[in-house]
Amino acid sequence: MQYGMIIDLERCVGCHACTIACLSEWEVPVEFHRNWVYRLGPSKVGDELASTYYPGLCNHCTKPPCVDVCPADPVKMTFTDATGKTITKSVAATWKDPVNGTVQIDKSRCLGCGACVEVCPYNARYINPAMIDDVGDGKADKCTYCMPRVEAGLLPACVQTCITNARIFGDLDDPNSEVAKYVKKGAKGLEPKGGSIGPNSKYYGKKKDISLLFQDYTPAAIADIDAVNRRTMLTAMIKPAMRKAQDLGLLGLAGAMLVQGLGKEEEKKNG
Amino acid sequence: MAFNVTRRKFLQTASLAAVSIPLSKVVCAETGVTKASLEPKGTMNDTTVVGGLCEMCFWRCQMVGKVRDGQLIKLEGNPKSIDNGTSICARGNAGIKLLYDVDRLKYPLKNVGKRGEPVWKRISWQEALDECGSKLKAVVDQHGPQGICVFPHGASAKYPMHYFERTVGTHNVSEASFFQCRGVRDTAYMASINEAPEEYVDMANAKVIFLVGCHFGENIHVSHTKNYIKGLQNGAKLIVADPRYSASAAKSDIWVQIKPGTDTAYLLAIMNYLVQNKKYNQEFVTNHTAGFDKFSQSIAEWTLDKAAKECEIPAAQIKEVADLLAANAPNVTIHPGRFSSWYGNDFQRGRALACLTALLGAYYVKGGWLPPKKPKLSKTSWAAEEHGNEHNLNYHNNKMHHPYAPPGTPTELIRDCAISGKPYPIKGCVVWGQNPMQTIPNQEKMKQVFKAMDFVMCVDVMPTDVTMWADILLPESSYLERYDEIKVGATYVKADDKEPTQYIAPRYPMVEPQFERKDQVYITNEIAKRMGHEKDIPVQSLEELVNKTLEASKTTLASIKAEGGIHLQPGKPAGAVPEDFMVQLFSDEIADAGFPGAPTYIPVENVPAGHARLLFGRAPVHSFSRTQNNIWLHHAMPVNPVWLNDTVAAKLGLKEGDSVGFINSEGVKSRTTTIVKVTPGIRKDCVYMYHGYGMVNPMLSICGGKGVDEQSLITKIAIDPESGVHGMRNNFVKLTKDGKTLDMPA
Repeated sequence: MQYGMIIDLERCVGCHACTIACLSEWEVPVEFHRNWVYRLGPSKVGDELASTYYPGLCNHCTKPPCVDVCPADPVKMTFTDATGKTITKSVAATWKDPVNGTVQIDKSRCLGCGACVEVCPYNARYINPAMIDDVGDGKADKCTYCMPRVEAGLLPACVQTCITNARIFGDLDDPNSEVAKYVKKGAKGLEPKGGSIGPNSKYYGKKKDISLLFQDYTPAAIADIDAVNRRTMLTAMIKPAMRKAQDLGLLGLAGAMLVQGLGKEEEKKNG
Repeated sequence: MAFNVTRRKFLQTASLAAVSIPLSKVVCAETGVTKASLEPKGTMNDTTVVGGLCEMCFWRCQMVGKVRDGQLIKLEGNPKSIDNGTSICARGNAGIKLLYDVDRLKYPLKNVGKRGEPVWKRISWQEALDECGSKLKAVVDQHGPQGICVFPHGASAKYPMHYFERTVGTHNVSEASFFQCRGVRDTAYMASINEAPEEYVDMANAKVIFLVGCHFGENIHVSHTKNYIKGLQNGAKLIVADPRYSASAAKSDIWVQIKPGTDTAYLLAIMNYLVQNKKYNQEFVTNHTAGFDKFSQSIAEWTLDKAAKECEIPAAQIKEVADLLAANAPNVTIHPGRFSSWYGNDFQRGRALACLTALLGAYYVKGGWLPPKKPKLSKTSWAAEEHGNEHNLNYHNNKMHHPYAPPGTPTELIRDCAISGKPYPIKGCVVWGQNPMQTIPNQEKMKQVFKAMDFVMCVDVMPTDVTMWADILLPESSYLERYDEIKVGATYVKADDKEPTQYIAPRYPMVEPQFERKDQVYITNEIAKRMGHEKDIPVQSLEELVNKTLEASKTTLASIKAEGGIHLQPGKPAGAVPEDFMVQLFSDEIADAGFPGAPTYIPVENVPAGHARLLFGRAPVHSFSRTQNNIWLHHAMPVNPVWLNDTVAAKLGLKEGDSVGFINSEGVKSRTTTIVKVTPGIRKDCVYMYHGYGMVNPMLSICGGKGVDEQSLITKIAIDPESGVHGMRNNFVKLTKDGKTLDMPA
């Protein structure tokens, strides 16, 4: 199974209902967004004038570069499909779900290092500074294809509100799904130049509009993975070390007593 | 950007290692106390409240709300709706940011400074109402009811407008929705087909959709847009006449890049071609039109070549469009448009559209103009009383100045009277939900009106620019906090349904009003009591008003709420053309009134050398100047870039994103600047901006001063002679950059 989204630019009127519904559903801080609509043109495409939109969101890529760079300590995670079959795999704080194909983030383990933000060729991720805990100061955030809604039997918020049914959500692996039919008709994702990461949010439309979109918004290339990896390695090394230092620092000093005392108080409160 | 985030985070975390982490966090982690979830919950499990009726624009989509801890956190389309369904637009979705906008008016305010430079003092409702009641009563006592002028807009303004018009008895009411928007379209069609056309076009089933200036996509009304896209998906050919490659032009099969102001010439040429070549619907013309011969003679001069020259478009393209319409008639949508206050020659354009529809036989047919049969409602409001025309400015000196004026009095007649004091003084002004500073051209003149008043009161939800001119400013409950008007309609739920379904959807409050906001029935009634009209008060509450209005439909607020906020019932098809339906191709009545009996092209002033015509229109995320301070909508489109032709930009040395200001042909400069959008998608003789930006009120902390207020540059006033409605696209500008004025190239 691979969830995907089709955006039919023949239907899209560029109204922004999708972007605002998303802000509302997921309490996205106003300076960020999980999805966006850019107006393109009017520009010349060959001899013709064209103007269309780039309604973008996370592509839940088949080979997501954001997953590979996450430096968080891996844990074993078990995924269950509709038939009850389980798959267990080792994942960092962001992973590709082997059952439904979406890319997700565990905020509680995210270090907030921003490596995934940097490597995403679509700028689909951001660090949400409002999300803070003792693991990270700010957390990576992005479109989840509204998995909590989908699991509750609802459509993604952007799809539900779309005023012209220009957004279509479903399983690309199911040949009978509407999204798969669109792929057969020629819907395609914005693959970075020279890349093959398999974006699963795909665009369909008039030839000149698709040309305009791909001419303006094909990512130049995937970010320089080597540079990202170097920074990621550094972060990975420093973060756990930092936490250790904090623990040592506190426990090794007079802080130990404090912590003990507070801990007891907490125990009383809880129980 | 992404790199900066990483780097900043990296530095922050690195520095954290050097200092101690807050103890509480460590303790919590170690004792396993449950932390607040970092993941937003989504709204799936929140309480659903039904009965929302949107008023981010006037289309009134039906909604449900999600409420968490007493706070409205999301709005969605009501799944029961057969109008907008589960869809609402960007503005609809952003409604909660109007509801909780920190800049919203909270308490009654008294201006203890000057009009236009207010110093606000919070006062009690008692004091505010006493002041409004006594000041307005003093005006009526001294100058008569005609001494009061009213500028209303929106659902909440209807009840107070009826009070001042019917009970107090002033004719001096100027609704922006008529005199600066669709009024001229309505009266042109009424003079032609005896009714206002609304937007009753069956685009979903049209074979051709013909838009003159409509820019769907930038102009969004949900169910209308749905029908438009359904039509295109069903294979309708789209023809768009617009000087700009608009959102609709971008979906068109034929884009007619027409010279601004010449639309009527274009329509006359199409009609003349249809007549000359017998490509019109002869049966419809015989049975349902009057004055065909006079009409055909009158338009005979409009050959394809003549129109091609006037409109600066190819003759072959006019013929292509006419042939396409004829070949697909009668199932063609000739869209009547909505905002029509363009050039001061707009009555004639409305007439031409109505007549073209007749030549194609496109009334009461699939894909054409097809009015739905809506459920009936009772009329409940202040009792209508006859006040004669002695003080009706439109009838002054025993002459009807604008015989095809929409209801109310043409704005310019009111303003001239208020400023000059002739023929009588106007000394009291009530502004209710309208923002005349940005709806009515020539802001200086509007200021003169306010300066001439003894008393000005404003009622609004937001501190719009006009509220700076109030003596008393009253905070109104929003559309999410009150009962109010009812949307009714009829539509085919499924494409193959034999009968349409009717719906009735009143507005219910979704949350309680906060602070001291009050609704229009409370405010109006309290003022009426103070003006001596207590016995005339028709209802005691808004809830009562709505219930009384529902009586004819045999529903109640309670019964509809139990049905999920919308009542559905079987409807009847629109049916064939009524026997007595007549289209006045040549109207003797209009001719008798001293205007052309057949649709006639009246040329507008040409662009003076060195200038460009200033055009404006809608942004998909904004309604007029009402929504700019909404933080979500503001971030979606923070400024209104000026569209500039690419070859013109190259000659001026301007590039995409450059910051520019404006100066108009009367020397008025823009207060602010905006950025340039360079595109081949606009003619060289005009520039284009979204309307409603660049507000001045310092109480608007989000949108104030962002973008350019194009209305501030519309100082030359054009009046459509038949209707008295404003034309607002006859102003000319030059761009300014870094203090230098740039002459537009020839």
